[in-house]
Amino acid sequence: MIQLFHVYKTYARDVEALVDINLHIQKGEFVFIAGPSGAGKTTLLRLIFRDELPTSGQILVNGRNVVKLPDRAIPHLRRSIGVIFQDFKLLRDRTIFDNLALVYRVLGIPSATGKRKVANLLKLVGLSHKVQMTPYRLSGGEQQRVAIARALMNDPLLLLADEPTGDLDADLSMDVMRLLGDINARGTTVVVATHDLDVVRELGRRTIVLKAGRLVEEHP
Amino acid sequence: MERLRYILQDALVNIRRSGWGGLASIGTIAVSFVILGIFLIITRNLGAVVAEWKEQFQVTVFLEDGITAEQLALVKKRIQSERAVRAMTYTSKEEALQSFKRELKGKESLLEGLGENPIPASLQLRVHEAYQTPEALRQFAAFLTRLEGVEDVLYGQEWVDRVASAVRVLRLLGLSVGLALGMASLLIVSNTIRLAVYARAEEIEIMRLVGATKTHIRAPFLLEGMIQGGLGAGLALLLLFGAYRATLWQLQLTPGQIFGVGVGSFLDPRWATAMLLAGASVGAFGSLISVGRFLRA
Ligand SMILES: Nc1ncnc2c1ncn2[C@@H]1O[C@H](COP(=O)(O)OP(=O)(O)OP(=O)(O)O)[C@@H](O)[C@H]1O
Ligand SMILES: [Mg+2]
Repeated sequence: MIQLFHVYKTYARDVEALVDINLHIQKGEFVFIAGPSGAGKTTLLRLIFRDELPTSGQILVNGRNVVKLPDRAIPHLRRSIGVIFQDFKLLRDRTIFDNLALVYRVLGIPSATGKRKVANLLKLVGLSHKVQMTPYRLSGGEQQRVAIARALMNDPLLLLADEPTGDLDADLSMDVMRLLGDINARGTTVVVATHDLDVVRELGRRTIVLKAGRLVEEHP
Repeated sequence: MERLRYILQDALVNIRRSGWGGLASIGTIAVSFVILGIFLIITRNLGAVVAEWKEQFQVTVFLEDGITAEQLALVKKRIQSERAVRAMTYTSKEEALQSFKRELKGKESLLEGLGENPIPASLQLRVHEAYQTPEALRQFAAFLTRLEGVEDVLYGQEWVDRVASAVRVLRLLGLSVGLALGMASLLIVSNTIRLAVYARAEEIEIMRLVGATKTHIRAPFLLEGMIQGGLGAGLALLLLFGAYRATLWQLQLTPGQIFGVGVGSFLDPRWATAMLLAGASVGAFGSLISVGRFLRA
């Protein structure tokens, strides 16, 4: 599903965000990218959905080399990927419904189908009763779940989750992880970036550890 | 298509949110197009007057009293073979006197002391428009004067040309003023759209990240600009038409009576359509300027 070959990413002023990363993630896998703050986790995810280009190296996603992808093919790539952003990226002045509807409008799905999809996903994350609220009035955990629901709006083959348990307490964190596990069980490849080593240890999934932009360990 | 409907909805939401900025855009375009339209209407009507004059323009060739029938036939033949001549009519001394008397109706006594008919026979020539320049007319008149049996040649309507060149200047002036105002409209629209883009920056970012094409992101703004431009031009047309009718009413005229030569008309429907399209294009272009710079893949 995802292959990285000698990937380097250097931001301006010699910030080496990633150094010589080689990685292979199979279709249907559930993988943690763990590491302290600033290790390069977000950067790695952004390279995968072609929000950034690597300084050097090649990246294959679902058989396509995203480094060589022409601009006009990028939207198609992104439509096959669901992303839960570290900062959620929800529109604060829109309702939960509008936030999710944005995706089906971009995809050009008829509104009847789109509305059904929104209802189903909000049920999945347990927020059906808050569909007309704005994110402004939701708790952090609820916003997190809206972000998850939105990432699933396009039935992605690949789900990238950037700190999906960010500020959540241990119980809520485990709820979110269970939800991601369910999604993975239905066939979606899931990649989770996190610095929450407790969660990682508890789940016992494949884990890739980054430190200062380098891949330092991988287990099991 | 579904996506088209979403794009249209987004454009309408943009317009509703644009508020004063949107009204300013529409207003500026309307003002520009009103001014442009005034120039168009004036030049169109003056142009029609000039065309009418040119149509009616004629050269009169006065013939010597002693001209013989052979000489007359020869003069007619020489004149008719000239390319400048579109039509020719002959007025004999007798006909000329009769029509002069008709014009003097009631004051025929003025003619009594004159004894024999003092009015010369003449040829009235219609001249093709291409030969109505001062230079061509001067040459043509010189040629006519040299013909045997010709007494005098009368044309002297240089002022037709002066009006014609005034119309050209006016047209040019209108075009420059219109162009300048068009640029101003472009800037205002582009600024309004820029604000709309900024207001939706977050939304655009998210759309981009979930796989919206550039076209899809741009289209609502493009449409917003086009609608603003079209509305501005439409408003201008309404204002112009209102002002045009009011002017006619003030002057107690019906359309077609202005200048008494059967012209006096509003903008041609084709010009009106062109103005609407131009308004929409200004809006679209202003929008592209703003949106183009903003987006990345
Ligand atoms: N757009 C950018 N421009 C310049 N430097 C950047 C940019 N994005 C990230 N960096 C730098 O790259 C390094 C890795 O950042 P990244 O966001 O990938 O880390 P992270 O592992 O996601 O951290 P966190 O756990 O805090 O989210 C950091 O040193 C960061 O300052
Ligand atoms: Mg991060």
